Amino acid sequence: MKKENENNNGTHKVQKGVAGFFMNFVLIVFSLTCIFPIVWMIYSSLKEKRAFNADIIGLPEKPTLVNYTRILTNTDYHLAESMFNSVRTTFLSILLIVLFSFIVGYILARVRFKLNRVLYVMFLMGMLIPIHSLLVPIYVVFRNCGMSNKWYTLLLPYVSFGLPMGIFLVEGYVKAIPVSLEEAAAIDGSSFSNTLWKIILPICKPILVTVAIIQIFSCWNEFSFALVLIKDVALQTVPLALTQFKGQFASDYPKQMAAMLITMSPIVVLYFVFSKQIIKGMVAGAVKG
Amino acid sequence: MKKKLLGLLLSTAMVASVLAGCGGGDAPAETPAAEAPAETPAETPAETPAEAPAETPAEAPADDAAAATGDVTYTGELEIMHYSTSEESEGNGGSDGFRTALGLWDEAHPDITLTQNVLANAEYKTQIATLAAADDLPDVFLLQGMNTIDWANQGLVYDLTNDIKSSPYYADYNQAYFVPFTVGDSIYGYPALTGGTCTVVIYDKAMWKEAGFDSFPTTWADVEKASEYFGGKGIITVAFGNGGKWQANSCFLSTLGNRYTGPDWFMSLVAKGGAAFTDAEFVSSLAETQRLFTQTKIFNEDFNVVTNEDAREYYISGDAAAFIGGNWDESYIWATLKEADEEKWNNMGFAVLPQPADATKAPNSQNIGLGYAIAINAKLANEPEKLAAAIDLAEYITGPEFATYVAENYALGGLTKVADVDLSAFDQITQDFYNWSYVNTETCEIYDSYITNAVWDVLNTDLQTMMNGDMTPEDVAANAQKAYEANY
Amino acid sequence: MLNSIKPKGKTIFLYLLVPVAMFVFTVFVPLVTALVYSFFEWKGGPQKTFTGLQNYMTLFADKTFWEAFGHNIYLVIACIIGQIGIAFILVIMVNSKLVKLKGMHRTFGFFPSTISAVCIGLIWNMIYHNQYGIINWFLKTIGRPDLCKVWLNETDKVMLLVSIPLIWQFIGYYMVIMLSAIASIDGEVFESAEIDGANGMQKAWYITLPLIKNTMLVCITLCIAGNMKAFDNIFVMTKGGPGTASMVMAMYGYQISFNQSNMGYGSCISVGIFVLSLLVIGGSQSLIKYLTREKEA
Repeated sequence: MKKENENNNGTHKVQKGVAGFFMNFVLIVFSLTCIFPIVWMIYSSLKEKRAFNADIIGLPEKPTLVNYTRILTNTDYHLAESMFNSVRTTFLSILLIVLFSFIVGYILARVRFKLNRVLYVMFLMGMLIPIHSLLVPIYVVFRNCGMSNKWYTLLLPYVSFGLPMGIFLVEGYVKAIPVSLEEAAAIDGSSFSNTLWKIILPICKPILVTVAIIQIFSCWNEFSFALVLIKDVALQTVPLALTQFKGQFASDYPKQMAAMLITMSPIVVLYFVFSKQIIKGMVAGAVKG
Repeated sequence: MKKKLLGLLLSTAMVASVLAGCGGGDAPAETPAAEAPAETPAETPAETPAEAPAETPAEAPADDAAAATGDVTYTGELEIMHYSTSEESEGNGGSDGFRTALGLWDEAHPDITLTQNVLANAEYKTQIATLAAADDLPDVFLLQGMNTIDWANQGLVYDLTNDIKSSPYYADYNQAYFVPFTVGDSIYGYPALTGGTCTVVIYDKAMWKEAGFDSFPTTWADVEKASEYFGGKGIITVAFGNGGKWQANSCFLSTLGNRYTGPDWFMSLVAKGGAAFTDAEFVSSLAETQRLFTQTKIFNEDFNVVTNEDAREYYISGDAAAFIGGNWDESYIWATLKEADEEKWNNMGFAVLPQPADATKAPNSQNIGLGYAIAINAKLANEPEKLAAAIDLAEYITGPEFATYVAENYALGGLTKVADVDLSAFDQITQDFYNWSYVNTETCEIYDSYITNAVWDVLNTDLQTMMNGDMTPEDVAANAQKAYEANY
Repeated sequence: MLNSIKPKGKTIFLYLLVPVAMFVFTVFVPLVTALVYSFFEWKGGPQKTFTGLQNYMTLFADKTFWEAFGHNIYLVIACIIGQIGIAFILVIMVNSKLVKLKGMHRTFGFFPSTISAVCIGLIWNMIYHNQYGIINWFLKTIGRPDLCKVWLNETDKVMLLVSIPLIWQFIGYYMVIMLSAIASIDGEVFESAEIDGANGMQKAWYITLPLIKNTMLVCITLCIAGNMKAFDNIFVMTKGGPGTASMVMAMYGYQISFNQSNMGYGSCISVGIFVLSLLVIGGSQSLIKYLTREKEA
């Protein structure tokens, strides 16, 4: 962010103090409500099922790690395997989403060709697919093509359904970039590909980081496709593995939360460790006109 | 923790079992399914193969010989899909027994690679429906009663009638359990897991005594009277949870309806014999349900929002004097109170739903049954050896091995009856519930084990609206009848 | 679009080939398959009966479906105002130099959208809970127990009550998008505005908003698309109840397909959701274009 000029005009000081207090207050309250679910999950995971059912919001009276030890010692849960699958699927999906969103988004924003608007609308349609009621056709199509239940199966829906949002964000972002940059490059004899990778890519970094962050969690948490397209236990992703913690008539929520926290930990840790860089990446790409 | 007395419907007529081993009634240990009990595994691989073949070949019809005997010659993969997750098995004896039996069978058949695809129940239902729609069902799976007719008519499930009749355990089967899985004269599955009631009133004897009742009232009028007393003390008279929408049907109406219509009406509905949801008796039962939930102060006011899991916490914490739920709730309350509040645990009493003033039938009835059966993909008919293996598996995990395990560890029963369950090893409350479930009450059908889910889904949604007072019983009945005529 | 950016058709084709092919296969082939199914009576399994437009006639007369459509529209409006509006205000605040802990707000705000719907649902069920809930506790504390309600059982309020968690959960999502868009604005624009004496509100309205207009349009589109197919949160909180008072289209389609095994009609509902969403998005885009044109004129 660019520093704004300090306004030293004295008469505004009181007003600013009030406004500043108000804004800080609102934001802190908001941030606290946002972090509460995680905090709640952490302390709830230290409760036993019965203590949790009796009082789901209170702090644990006798904190216990029993949920964690139960999870980590039970081989039925195959959490390690599923985490490996989730990491692989998520990583590759994000890579492809970012790459494709960048290419397609840029082309749709800048290149004039016949099918430009057709493609735009087509990708728009991709966001409107109600997947919960389309699970059966999706399964039938994948099975008939021999593509269900493979290690790469989930990449297809994750990338395809993640693309529209990425493309729109990149497209909107590129449109705000002054064309003079590309014109100058073209005059210098830069080819289309060269301009794309050497000039545009660095400028688009903030939006691409944003796309990656938004998509990483939706890939990680995605459930419906994984449920219908993956049958082999060895290929299950984390959300499917977590269903092993559910019973038909009773759910052990604290144990589920412990399992969620264990499985979420890699990305949450990554997110916190790199949050400075991520935020920097998101907001530090200002273009000079 | 696991006691679980759900169902041994069999009750009196227990025939001598094939398995005599395993001394009676050990109190169940706190074992996760993974490390299944030490006793059974040691004995079984040796026993079963030896016994089953000895009995059966003579009985089996010639054309079906391979399928009916215990001779498993198949080698290769066999896939089974079920919902007994390890979580499920920790609170549920039937599920624990299922996993244990499945593990034993797998061990005894080293040439067969048994692939288990295990999902939690809700996810299982979604995936199995998808697979059925795509005609891609696994070799062996659990078939829900209300899907039987649809799937059988589509040719998705193998007709097991002859195999069941030639099963070595046929004589011990509880025939009533086959009804939901029967279409015409054909049977499509081996009823699996354990049977238990779906509608039991659990009440705190001490609290009701204080209110002036030595046992739970047998009429709703008395419950209303009691609700004045409990209401005055800020206590919920009866806790109920219908937040999942299915509970009002499974755990209330299915029994209450029987009090008005009697069992013949429902069987006529199942057989398309002329009964209709719009029949006056059934509408009366809806009207009574609506009256009880909207015009009396018997139930917790949030009954339509909370689930049965939340509602039973009202009972456990003492905020409610009674609770209506299924055997799964009973086992949870039993285990929780046993640990947390021994005195309250000792005061647990069991009762059938009270009788409505204008109902004339079966005042002592409760609904009980088995909801799922082991079914086999119809495509296995082309692979006789694999089919034989699948049938052997189905017979094993519903057979005496399983039945003995759940009877001795949980005082529960499944398809196969077991002789002489020694109840004395179980505590008084467990014995009470056993006797209530299997001995001292009449049984009636669980509605949604029959007909088709298309009808029940419509009825369940409307019931929730009706219990809020926003729909008339007549309209609910008319909608259900419309769905019934369109889909059944 | 400029003359200087004129790559060869072949280059464009090669760049677009893989993503477009993949997208069409995964998204459109199942959609077309569903379209085909929607002309059949199909209860799941190998047998289907062609019934022509029968399913669509049923759909047109299906009160529950149209009620659900109304709920989706309600959600769309509530979430455009709630999610995007609040997110914009919060973003302006975060970017103000009077605010401390900017990094924390940016990091935390996004968190709720990373948590599974099950947990969010549990938390909000507790907030609304009749006996132990925070709202009723508050009402009792301030001496108004008469206002206590079984909140999620209020047929006429339940849509509002399920929208609030949804709005709260995704504010951070739009904040992240807007923050990155604002980052692309040249800081000098603000500096000169400040020299001209513009205050924070004026800057936000007259400078920031027009400059990130494209991104805002994308946000609105995302918001509409997301809410036309809303499912998870409501499913966890109310299952569409009481009765059908909080039923949304995707849940209805799911219910018909899976709880009622009516795959043909379920496919028809999917097609219906898709077409209606397309109409709503198309309509909203023309509306926005019309409105912004007016402003420029």
